[in-house]
Amino acid sequence: MDQQQVIMENVLQFMQKDHLEEEDFNEQALRLYSYQYQFNLPYQAFCRQRGKTPRMVKAWRDIPAVPVNAFKEVALSCTDPEKAEAVFMTSGTTKGIRGKHYHPNLHIYDRSMILNFKQRFMGNIEKVRMGVLFPTEKEMPNSSLAHYLALAVKEFGKEGSGYLMNESGVDMDRLLDELNRAEETGEPYALIGASYSFVHVLEELERRGKTFSLPKGSRILDTGGFKNQSKELELNDFYDLLSSSLGVSRTECINMYGMTELSTQFYDDGNESIPAVKSGPHWIRTRVIHPLTGEEMPKGERGVLVHCDLGNFNSVTTILTEDIGIELESGFLLLGRVQGAEAKGCSITLAEFLKAAKEPLK
Amino acid sequence: MREIAGYLPDIGKEKFETKILTFQGKDGAIEAEIPLLNEKQMDMVIAKVKKASNETLKSFSSAEIVQIIDEAIERLLDRRSPYRQKAEKLLPIVTGYNEEIVRLGLTSYLKTFRKHELQRFLVEDLGNPLLLDDFQPRVTGGYSKAVGPELITHIWAGNVPALPLWSLISGLLVKAGNIGKVASAEPFFAGWFAQVLVEIEPRLADCFAVVWWKGGDEEREFSLFSQSGVVVGYGGNQSLQFLQSRIPITTRFLPFGHKISFGILSESSLDSRKAWQSVHQAALDVIRYDQQGCYSPHLFYVQRGGKVSPREVARMMANELENYQKRFPRRPLSMEESASLSSWRQKEEMGIFDHPNKEVLGNSANDWTVVYEENNIHFTPSCLNRVVKVMPFENIEEILSLVAPHRHLLQTIGMAANPKELFDWAESLGKVGVTRITALGKMTSPEAGWHHDGRFNLLDLVNMVDIESAAEESSERFAPYVD
Amino acid sequence: MGKFKGKVVLVTGASRGIGASIARAFAEEEAFVIVNYLQNKEAAEKVAASCRELGGDGWAIQGDVTSESAVNGMMDQIILEAGKIDVVVNNAFKPYIFNPDERKMLWELKWNDYQEQIDGALRSAHYITQAVLPMMKKQTQGSIVNIISNLVERPIVPYHEYNTAKTALMGYSRNLAAELGPFGIRVNCVAPGLVYPTSASKYTKEEMKEMIIAQTPLRRIALPEDVAGPVLFLASDWSGFMTGQTLFVDGGFVM
Repeated sequence: MDQQQVIMENVLQFMQKDHLEEEDFNEQALRLYSYQYQFNLPYQAFCRQRGKTPRMVKAWRDIPAVPVNAFKEVALSCTDPEKAEAVFMTSGTTKGIRGKHYHPNLHIYDRSMILNFKQRFMGNIEKVRMGVLFPTEKEMPNSSLAHYLALAVKEFGKEGSGYLMNESGVDMDRLLDELNRAEETGEPYALIGASYSFVHVLEELERRGKTFSLPKGSRILDTGGFKNQSKELELNDFYDLLSSSLGVSRTECINMYGMTELSTQFYDDGNESIPAVKSGPHWIRTRVIHPLTGEEMPKGERGVLVHCDLGNFNSVTTILTEDIGIELESGFLLLGRVQGAEAKGCSITLAEFLKAAKEPLK
Repeated sequence: MREIAGYLPDIGKEKFETKILTFQGKDGAIEAEIPLLNEKQMDMVIAKVKKASNETLKSFSSAEIVQIIDEAIERLLDRRSPYRQKAEKLLPIVTGYNEEIVRLGLTSYLKTFRKHELQRFLVEDLGNPLLLDDFQPRVTGGYSKAVGPELITHIWAGNVPALPLWSLISGLLVKAGNIGKVASAEPFFAGWFAQVLVEIEPRLADCFAVVWWKGGDEEREFSLFSQSGVVVGYGGNQSLQFLQSRIPITTRFLPFGHKISFGILSESSLDSRKAWQSVHQAALDVIRYDQQGCYSPHLFYVQRGGKVSPREVARMMANELENYQKRFPRRPLSMEESASLSSWRQKEEMGIFDHPNKEVLGNSANDWTVVYEENNIHFTPSCLNRVVKVMPFENIEEILSLVAPHRHLLQTIGMAANPKELFDWAESLGKVGVTRITALGKMTSPEAGWHHDGRFNLLDLVNMVDIESAAEESSERFAPYVD
Repeated sequence: MGKFKGKVVLVTGASRGIGASIARAFAEEEAFVIVNYLQNKEAAEKVAASCRELGGDGWAIQGDVTSESAVNGMMDQIILEAGKIDVVVNNAFKPYIFNPDERKMLWELKWNDYQEQIDGALRSAHYITQAVLPMMKKQTQGSIVNIISNLVERPIVPYHEYNTAKTALMGYSRNLAAELGPFGIRVNCVAPGLVYPTSASKYTKEEMKEMIIAQTPLRRIALPEDVAGPVLFLASDWSGFMTGQTLFVDGGFVM
């Protein structure tokens, strides 16, 4: 077995564990850290700059976190990125450069998704009829979300599950058919997809004056926020509307928080109250830090989220996000994105400069 | 505690709304209560200020106005005066800047508005200051007088303390009525200055107003701008663009956009004796107002060939910033600013892989960051709050080609160079858009009469009224004493 | 949390005596201690192991500090392993027998006797300093502590070549302090009196020790552990505003 196989085997075994000591996570994280330090050379340079060699790092909390924007700058991979089975990319940004997450194969990604999805979304059910409000993998080969949703259908979708999209967005006719069918047959139904697609659905339902009361056991999974793709709804209004338009109680509306840069997702246990507590499986841990000092914030205080995802065996386990949150006993609250800091004075900001540089000189 | 901000002329017993802006400092909070006028009240203020400008202000000679401003500045410079004490107490809380930085900054700034400096200011722009008082003969024949507008509207921005003084004093010197909108980041100083002026000369009471409204209030802005002769606007290009869209063609608009400034250290300033001094001064420019001013340096180009190399300069700069952090700590940053700063630094650190010669220097608390790069020198702004890049260069042409594409954004250069270099480099930097060259350590304290963004402070505000020689000759024919 | 948690400390000549006890003291404060030695691998490994037991980390590394290439090679290894270096304690010196009765008289000394001691104390400190400077400058901080002797202040026994070399090291340190201050690097000296037991002092006569004790206000002779405290102090940020200084650790013998 080569080293990658050994590492993957370790991770898979770790995921299967049902009993976990604090030391187990630490050990596994440090093992991955040594591996990534050795083979992921840009990461090695980064760690050395920070004086954090494997010799100096004694606990998973000390593993240097890589800012998400680094995924745009360098190829963070322990193996040849050219040979990756999947490359997941972040959605386009202002500069048009997309972050890339290389997966030499998707065994662990898929395993992580399946174990976690089963526990957090499926509850007691084995399979459910699903409708997906997002393009297919084929249409978006570099979207981790497209892959995730396809996997959900493949693993947990009953026959008849499928995508409810067409060229112009949500295929309302098919969606209405599905919803009607569910109401008539009483068979639980799951709608899963991008948050903004749900907003379009809600608008369309309102326009058509339609509401549904989906059978008991039906559930909704939204993810990704609104991303300027739809109007920005207050989360409370969003879940109220979902609940009243589709007849799925807010406790059955699960929000998934995932990132292209991770291999593991977080879920809440329904959105009865906002913001809902998010948590992940035992192979991912989240710290809330002060961005300047890197030190952990006391529980209950605002900070920036750092995730240590042992499913990220090939890139880097530990990611510094741009998300602000609060740590709680049972998980964390996600409070939103760090907005670009505004200019305080009259000196130009980076964003403004880039914008000016893009515009032709007058 | 609550402090009234702003200043209103006497518009009778109007009841007006106020807006409360809250500032949280480390030793307590301050609430600024500032008048928020409705449209009718605003029109009353406009009318009042215009009337007073015409009837009162324009009856003063410029010498008298200079005298009044000088007295006001003297009070603000006097650390025992109540206004000064209030400024020293409140501005650090409002802006977050270190108390010493505010105190030193205020003094060095205010002293540029003393009487002799104001006189220089007038001569600088007008040649003959009497032009503001009376028709003055012209060399080519005829007479001219400089007439200020009835009303100048100022849209101030940013949290650099007391910044509104430049344009307000300029407005007063040209005898215009002034209405200023303060920035919510520093709503106090302009109002205090107005009050001091009125204490010194009560007849000025109705000549100005200092107010606030939420930026982007289209109707209000259009109405005010169409009644103004000149609008002076500070802010980012985007907000200036918005402002411009509301300014009628008949109103003159003077926009002061956000700028980028930088430093240049010649090898002649980098021998083993002078290098530290150069770096020390450069670091001072960085920490003053945490680089928030348009004149604050984002980066330093350091010439190769000195006894102390550009890389060593970067490292010395790092230690200087560390020392300044102990002496004048950086203002507390918001979670957003902190996050963007640390992500900026870490992105730079990630770049070390591609550029092993790069160095990212900083302490563990991220109080400051110095990045040294030599492989691909470039020109990009820093994320501010004591973050600078140091890059080496061989000859000035390298810098010129980097900055030339950004001509409209360039402003100040802090330069450590010998006299020949100073003038040679100034020549070529001027061609690519730089408008101010000063010594390191002085970047954040422009001298009196500087040409802000290359423009005239007073000349841009006034209209010249000419009496042509033909009119004068012709008038003679109608004189009662004509024979 | 240990005062030196996350810090990397190099102690030269740390396989025994004062060096070993300094190394252990750093380890107790959770430092990663690099135990440099010249010959005695076994002893050095033991010191490194005890560093790990004490709560820090320890790593024994061979290197002749009087050889420039050896020093550079050693520093490369350290950087590779630890990524940085925060503190250097220049403790190694050319073996010297402190025997007041048998010492060389001035007129017996050849220049080479001086040269040997100067190489041991000064040349080694110089090589180590030069090698560590790029890293410390890059970190814009660092502390260098040079171990000298209280004999620089009061040569009760004129061990000419030794005392001269150590005095040179003090002068060297002060000049470093002046030059490196603008980079945030501090350089200080610790000057112990007679330390017993060490291999260098094992031939010192009891009579001599008694004479020193009688003149020492604290009325005893220094132990190797006594030296560690001031070294740790000068290496820590507790002495953040001290540079170019010499701390005498001799129970008040020199004042």
